[in-house]
Amino acid sequence: MVKSTSVALAVLAGLFAAPAFAQDAPNLNIYTYDSFAADWGPGPALKTGFEAICGCTVTFVAADSSIGALRRVQLEGATSEADLIVGLDTAIAGEARDTGLFAEHNFYFDELTLPYGWTDKNFVPFDYAHFAFVYDTDKVANPPKSFEELIAMPDDFKIVIQDPRSATPGLGLVLWIKAAYGDRSPEIWAGLKPHILTVTREWSESYNLFLEGEADMALSYTTSPAYHIVEEDDDTIKAALFEEGHFAQTEVAGVLKSSKHQELAFQFLDYLTSAGAQQIIPTTNWMFPVVDLGGELNPAFGRLPQPEKTLTLPEAGIEANSATWIDEMLKAIQ
Amino acid sequence: MTILPHRPARIAAAAALALAIAILIGLVLWSIFSAATDQASGAGRVDIPHLLRMTSIQAGLTTVISLTVGMALAWALNRLRFPGRDLVVGLFASAIVTPGMVVAFGLLSIWGRSGWINQASNALFGTSIGNPAFGLPGILFAHVILDGAFAARIMLARLDAIPQPRLKTGQSLALSAWQRFAIIDWPALRGTLPGLGAIIFLLAFTSFPIVLLLGGGPANQTLEVAIYAAVRQDFDLRAAVLLALTQIGVCSVVILIASALAPIPTSLGPSTTPSWRDGIAARLLQAVVLILCTIAFVLPLASVLVNGMLVGFGRLLAQPAFWWAALSSLIIGASSALLTLVLAITLAMGRGATANGVIRTILGMPAFAYLAVPAVVLSLGFFLLVRNLGVAPALAAPYVVILGNSLLALPFAMATLGPPFEAIARTRGKLIRSLDLSGWRQFIAVEYPLLGKDIGVMLALAFCFSLGDLGVIALFGTQDFQTLPLLMFRALGAYRGSDAAAIASILLIGTIIAFVGLPKLFERIANAAR
Repeated sequence: MVKSTSVALAVLAGLFAAPAFAQDAPNLNIYTYDSFAADWGPGPALKTGFEAICGCTVTFVAADSSIGALRRVQLEGATSEADLIVGLDTAIAGEARDTGLFAEHNFYFDELTLPYGWTDKNFVPFDYAHFAFVYDTDKVANPPKSFEELIAMPDDFKIVIQDPRSATPGLGLVLWIKAAYGDRSPEIWAGLKPHILTVTREWSESYNLFLEGEADMALSYTTSPAYHIVEEDDDTIKAALFEEGHFAQTEVAGVLKSSKHQELAFQFLDYLTSAGAQQIIPTTNWMFPVVDLGGELNPAFGRLPQPEKTLTLPEAGIEANSATWIDEMLKAIQ
Repeated sequence: MTILPHRPARIAAAAALALAIAILIGLVLWSIFSAATDQASGAGRVDIPHLLRMTSIQAGLTTVISLTVGMALAWALNRLRFPGRDLVVGLFASAIVTPGMVVAFGLLSIWGRSGWINQASNALFGTSIGNPAFGLPGILFAHVILDGAFAARIMLARLDAIPQPRLKTGQSLALSAWQRFAIIDWPALRGTLPGLGAIIFLLAFTSFPIVLLLGGGPANQTLEVAIYAAVRQDFDLRAAVLLALTQIGVCSVVILIASALAPIPTSLGPSTTPSWRDGIAARLLQAVVLILCTIAFVLPLASVLVNGMLVGFGRLLAQPAFWWAALSSLIIGASSALLTLVLAITLAMGRGATANGVIRTILGMPAFAYLAVPAVVLSLGFFLLVRNLGVAPALAAPYVVILGNSLLALPFAMATLGPPFEAIARTRGKLIRSLDLSGWRQFIAVEYPLLGKDIGVMLALAFCFSLGDLGVIALFGTQDFQTLPLLMFRALGAYRGSDAAAIASILLIGTIIAFVGLPKLFERIANAAR
């Protein structure tokens, strides 16, 4: 028994040991969330693409979520092995900046195709999409065109959303409603309450409830329909566009001050925002690229309807008030 | 006055283990507390009394319903013999080790708005039953599927082990079905109630994704959600530790009551095929219980199998990542199961060797308390511990997973092995003393042969439990280290629902095979040794 156990453990150690690195090539440690680094995510192709030009090795270190990756860096502080974090979003960028752990970059953003201007000194955007409710055209003939219309739907018209304390789209919806309705937000939430089938922990649970037909709409992204078009040849999933405008999630990357390979890390950011890397993003991370890819953009993305208006909130306001706004939302739908 | 064999070494070993677990829990919390920086506390925002009240009501109801349903089901299964019985027993047992999310989605595909029942009802009567699967009833339903079926499996093992002579005496006295339950079955079942009750309460109290998925909103939330928010969203580590201590404190009350209760000798021995049938009314009732439970419990799991087989199966098998994840899961599961077995036997032996209630409680507490530590706190604490030890997290990850999963499975293993160990010490104590058996001989000659089947059930439980819950290494940065459940959740999070469904069905098949096969295998091995 003892022998077989130790054999099993030896096998284990071999299976999971980190790959040996070439002695001289520098290693770039990128903290991210797990679906970014997954086989079907953008990670593997970005690694291949960057290693071809950098003379270095790229290692992704994936936490369960982007906020998990940030928390890990905060816990590790100056001793962190991370050179950069890829995958934080704009709702948490302010808090991340305040940790003082991130270095300033000297990028110019005049070629970005983001729906709003970008001037951030610490973070570089690499993809985005608007939050939106998705529906199935076979089941919902006339989707609501605004929060007000959604509230006016019959009570058996159900939506699924996510908990703002555990899922970034959940927080996104809180910010979206706040940006659209300001002080009227509690009223909007109270109006939505009868339509909320449930509030899930993760985006994936909501989305699957929707796909299983348990709810009429799920809180997701304007880019979600692209997955079904590209991978399943199914164009019945659509995002409902709201007249109030939509809040966007922009994913960003930042270099850590403690990095021993800062130059290399900035070089990676340069690559990440280049046309070559941006081409990888849409059909692996299912988000829009941040630069104009012209004819190289997957046609499924080119055809997606875009909101006419993008709503934003000042970063300082988000940082100072998001906890209060979350409480407000929880109370309103309690 | 029962006479127990004199086994100070067993008590000492159990005490050392209990102390080690308690120290580990302490270290986890301490390392988080000491990593906390001064920040505004978000804990003031959490309405703790409200959460505690809601969670206690939910967990209390889950416990009572699960134990009642479990007892009725065990009773029916013990009496009835029908083709496919082993498979049904295996399916019932596998619910508890199936990821809660899978069970919840299985439940919805039967009872949900677009579920089988509504589809059938729409087609037949043109009307639907609505959507009964959400809100508190939905949470309770999902929890009872998980926990009630587990309770039934453990209780069935006790009923199946009632010795033949006892049954023959009862039969010759022409006991009615009710008298038979009250006089023969109940004494065999009573011993399992405290341990089972405590586990079910803890599981329901700390349940997180199911509560959010089926709860219908913040009205039905648990303390665990608030702790998650404190750790991740607010990064208020002090508040997280305080909330975790609150949760452990509340759960400890339940654990204390459960472990302080005097042990009750239970039945022992290999299972027997009964020749004694109850009266026609009782048998009808048993059939009804079985059919209802099958519809309620087995259908959701069956739908998981069906949904997984329909699409995505071929695509999944073609992925190398799947086979690596399956191999990791097997190694993790097997290692954890063996470790759990050693830990559980150590603790159960120690508890069986003393009649002193305080000592028994102290020996049992830490293993149960570990179950009350919130998962997000464990993942953070283990990460900090490993870092403080100067070990690279990615290298330590597999060992942490094995240890973490073994400790998680330990209370279940104790609920399985504890009652029979106690029973042996109590009913055969005199014999063991008079023969002057050593502790080792006692195990080899007396305990092991009687425990074979229970060890099989326990190994199946621990193995399936540990196939890949990677919650404890959420922060370790181990994207190359996949297990099947993790692969499933990753697929689910990347629009790949059909891959996830296929993995869920494979997990379920593996679990059923383990639950049908391992108890039989170990019963045979243990009895061959005699």
